[in-house]
Amino acid sequence: MTVFLQSVISGILVGGIYALIGIGLTIIFGVMRVINFAHGELMMLGMYATWIVFTMLGLDPFVSIVLVAPLLFLWGAFLQKVFINRVLNALPQNQILLTIGLGLVMSNTVMLIFTSDYRILTTSYSSSSYTLGEISISQPLLFAFLITAAITAALYWFLLKTDTGQAIRATAQDRDAAQLMGINVRAMSVLAFGIGAALSGTAGALISPTYYIFPQVGSAFTLKAFVIVVLGGMGSVVGATLGGVLVGLTESLAAVYVASGLKELVVFVAFLAVLLFKPSGLLGKTRA
Amino acid sequence: MDLRSLGGRGQRGFGIVGILLVLVAIALLAVFPQFVKKPYVLHMGVVLFLAIIQGQAWNVVGGYAGQYSVGHAAYFGIGAYTTMMLLEMYKIPPWWGIWAAIANAVILSLVIGSITFRLRGPYFVLASISVAEIIRLAALHFRGLTRGAEGFLLSEIPALTIGDLSIEFYTKRPFYYAALALAALTIAANWLVQHSKLGYYFQAIREDQDAAHSLGINLPVYKNVALAISAALTAWAGGFYAMFVKFIDPNTVFGLDVSVQIVLICIIGGIGTIIGPVIGAMVLVPLSEVLRNPKGLVQLGLLPQDSALVAFIEARFANAHLLVYGILVVVVILFAPDGVLGVIRKATARVRRRAGAAGEPATAG
Amino acid sequence: MAEPILDIQHVSKFFGGLAANSDVSFSVEQGMIMGLIGPNGAGKTTLFNCITGYYPPSKGDVLFKGVRMNGLQPDQVAHLGMVRTWQKVRPLAKLTVLDNVMVGALARTNSLKVAREVAHEQLKVVRLAHKDQMLAGGLPIGERKKLEVARVLATKPELLLLDEVMGGLNPAESEEIIQLILELRKRGLTQMVIEHDMKTIMRISDRIVVLNSGEKLAEGGPREIADNPDVIAAYLGERVE
Repeated sequence: MTVFLQSVISGILVGGIYALIGIGLTIIFGVMRVINFAHGELMMLGMYATWIVFTMLGLDPFVSIVLVAPLLFLWGAFLQKVFINRVLNALPQNQILLTIGLGLVMSNTVMLIFTSDYRILTTSYSSSSYTLGEISISQPLLFAFLITAAITAALYWFLLKTDTGQAIRATAQDRDAAQLMGINVRAMSVLAFGIGAALSGTAGALISPTYYIFPQVGSAFTLKAFVIVVLGGMGSVVGATLGGVLVGLTESLAAVYVASGLKELVVFVAFLAVLLFKPSGLLGKTRA
Repeated sequence: MDLRSLGGRGQRGFGIVGILLVLVAIALLAVFPQFVKKPYVLHMGVVLFLAIIQGQAWNVVGGYAGQYSVGHAAYFGIGAYTTMMLLEMYKIPPWWGIWAAIANAVILSLVIGSITFRLRGPYFVLASISVAEIIRLAALHFRGLTRGAEGFLLSEIPALTIGDLSIEFYTKRPFYYAALALAALTIAANWLVQHSKLGYYFQAIREDQDAAHSLGINLPVYKNVALAISAALTAWAGGFYAMFVKFIDPNTVFGLDVSVQIVLICIIGGIGTIIGPVIGAMVLVPLSEVLRNPKGLVQLGLLPQDSALVAFIEARFANAHLLVYGILVVVVILFAPDGVLGVIRKATARVRRRAGAAGEPATAG
Repeated sequence: MAEPILDIQHVSKFFGGLAANSDVSFSVEQGMIMGLIGPNGAGKTTLFNCITGYYPPSKGDVLFKGVRMNGLQPDQVAHLGMVRTWQKVRPLAKLTVLDNVMVGALARTNSLKVAREVAHEQLKVVRLAHKDQMLAGGLPIGERKKLEVARVLATKPELLLLDEVMGGLNPAESEEIIQLILELRKRGLTQMVIEHDMKTIMRISDRIVVLNSGEKLAEGGPREIADNPDVIAAYLGERVE
């Protein structure tokens, strides 16, 4: 029973971070209908940025989010303006290929600069944990989860209560109608990609004390992000939040009850199942 | 894309002139090893032909039928592993083993097709990637069967005896001829498909699935046929690769970058054309090889031993071929989504329009 | 009396809570032209979709030549002899005009040669033969519509469903299509035509079915329908576009 509880708790904590990645991807898809295959690479950039800041300035990774998030936001905005914007009306296949290409450029440029050596970011609390009875809760993961929760809450507030946030939601719902209402949909796209990148980069910062940092770490997260987004329904922020936690849980339980080496495979199989039987996601939005 | 700018002419392959050119090229390539004996050149030839085969194979389902699988590594890897395992574990020579490999790939394609073809557009792409990843992860995990990350190392390929003739597989030459023959075969297969009912139906599915359906085209059947043909040819390439490179492991043959490279070969050349993959291969292969192995330029006699360029590439760009792939994809998608052929076609259409060729459609209506 | 070629029996189609078609029944005799009219959103295209297998009806039966069609796929429907054109025209853009029609012809033959001949014939019928090597995507709207007609004719159908085939055409082009429809009737082809232009429908239809808000409002000859107060009210009640 403790094993089960332990597994559940770790799964949920990691799931929170996954949720951040998923939310970023779903916002991008919601606003632009673009499937961003470079999403994991944005997270990887966040990880490296955090590592650089930590190694050079000694800044705690959680604190460095203050730097990393805006940095990734600007980078995301740049990518959208220069590259993604040109394929908004192209075939989805071409959009996907473009983002795959951008992802390859990002991960391999990092590899050229930093080599493929695994980097580790060890803080004073990297391996510490709180104990609750027989269950140990990893400190860095707990902090990450709390920060994620705060960011998610802030994001919900932004999307629901501010003018800009509502403009983004309007664009996601019906781009043409939003444009007719006077919303600058181009700016919304830039904003959406920037936010998506910032969220992804933040997730990278949050996970850096507990994960190996290497140039190719992104691709696994890209695919995971897609699973999350499809599970939750493309374009649904709430769905991505729940989907992230669900994926974290599934992985954690699979690692214990199936086999550690197969935990990612289980996620993929679950993904295929959802694609086939409920392509509009577990929360069921229309577009499939 | 303004189709009128393409000159309004349909693409029908290249007709008699094209066929003759291809035959001449094949003939020239066939006698090539008589004059150039350097094994490295022959090696590059094989790599080039393999890329052409992979591209032509993908073209059937991706270029013609419009189903963008970015998970073709699944079939490549199945071909490689089946052939390799049959040889290493059961001593079955590859010219028999390859048929089992192809059979495996076709069966796999039917399974994958039945799962993924219900999905459209980006969802299909995602599903195809997932399937390949599942297979790769399984191959890594089930070490008892596949030796996991250790992979398979080829011990030796027996000699092939046909009557009095005995062909050994120690040098590059037999591989060169086999690869050339295979490449020619896949090009022929593509040509046959394009000029058959299959080709028409595949392209109809690509252009508008629902319209095709309502015109009497059984979507699942034809999509699966396209995928099966594609999978068979890709597996053939995979089996050949295993025998040629003599070492395989799950990441090299089931990896996402294999799938991406296959798609790239077609995109760069021009999707949905017969010559496209050839052009794409001719761009990608030398590029990636120079970056992976700049000393090769020395071996080819193109650069001196102490060339600064070679040293520079070696120091900075080892394994940068993926970076170049990435840049290439971005450039092609943004500026030439119809590939090299698309660029050529637009240019010649512009020339033809200026020359006032007869029969050009008036830009009215 | 001969069995009707198409028998719609109490067909309903629901999308969630919305009844796009509600208990629609009528039949079409072999060789006639049936007009299907109604204000926007009446459920005409939905009915076409149900009939041709694009999706199955939620309730009721569709019988074609006495055979129950519910649940059949569009390709099976086409092989049985019923085809349709699309309200939003769907050319196979990157294929030539000739190839487009050949795709239709290949429903009846495996030989490219035969398909090519059939295709040439149909292109002559719709007067598009001179553009046979043009890419379909480069055609103006009127010719795209004619292409679509040629393409479905190449499948040698017994029942042709035309969904607003004259939408977006100028008077000369519309007249061409009307003549074509009348000519096809002479050749024994049964047709069901959705059109917005009342004069056209009155001119070509043997019988007319009127849909409104998913239900069948009226059925009868052109004169009857034109004088039917309910029909007039339904159209007058429609917002002017």
